[in-house]
Amino acid sequence: MDKHTQWIAARVRIGWIILAVGVVIGMIGIFLELRGSNLPFAAAIVTGWGILGVGTGIGVIVRYRAALRGDQAARRLTVEELDERNVSIRARAGNRAYWASTALVFMGLMWASFAANGSMPDLSGDVLWYFLVVCVAAPFGVYVASILVDQRNL
Amino acid sequence: MKNRLAELRTKNGWTQQELADQVDVSRQTIISLENGRYNPSILLAFRLARLFKLQIEDIFLYSDEEDRYG
Repeated sequence: MDKHTQWIAARVRIGWIILAVGVVIGMIGIFLELRGSNLPFAAAIVTGWGILGVGTGIGVIVRYRAALRGDQAARRLTVEELDERNVSIRARAGNRAYWASTALVFMGLMWASFAANGSMPDLSGDVLWYFLVVCVAAPFGVYVASILVDQRNL
Repeated sequence: MKNRLAELRTKNGWTQQELADQVDVSRQTIISLENGRYNPSILLAFRLARLFKLQIEDIFLYSDEEDRYG
């Protein structure tokens, strides 16, 4: 097994671990839901985290397992993932997304401060929900846009 | 940074993909290096130098004008 195949095999193992953890968390969530305990939060949140783990694990396994079929496929995927230019582009995109996220959180803090003395509408209910959606979606948009721009310019 | 990668690659009769395979990077990275849009890490520069049996400074041509800190 060459170093590329070993790297891919390690990723597949990580995928299985994420999947297993997801299954365990999901089962705990289902158990809590069925038991109807008096938790201060909906047990479905735990089940949701479990489903997220299962989905992520399956995604990782499917992505890397296909590359285990042959040394050439393993090599191509490893080079693509570890290619220093690609790594640099992803790092730059992550940095920009971080600053976008920080700017949004800062705006949220300012909004909450102004709302407290009546200068702005309350950041609650639907407004809060949409604001949080923007906080999640905008940095992701910045990340993707940055990758596309740097792929062309670098 | 200017470099002689395209010239050395052609001299050896390699395609961009063949060169990329030998130094474990993507073809796109070789294209960017050859166009001078991307400067390699020191490790990649050493891998390329070793492959062509040259010194790094024989491949990558440093100039003061391009160095914004120089």
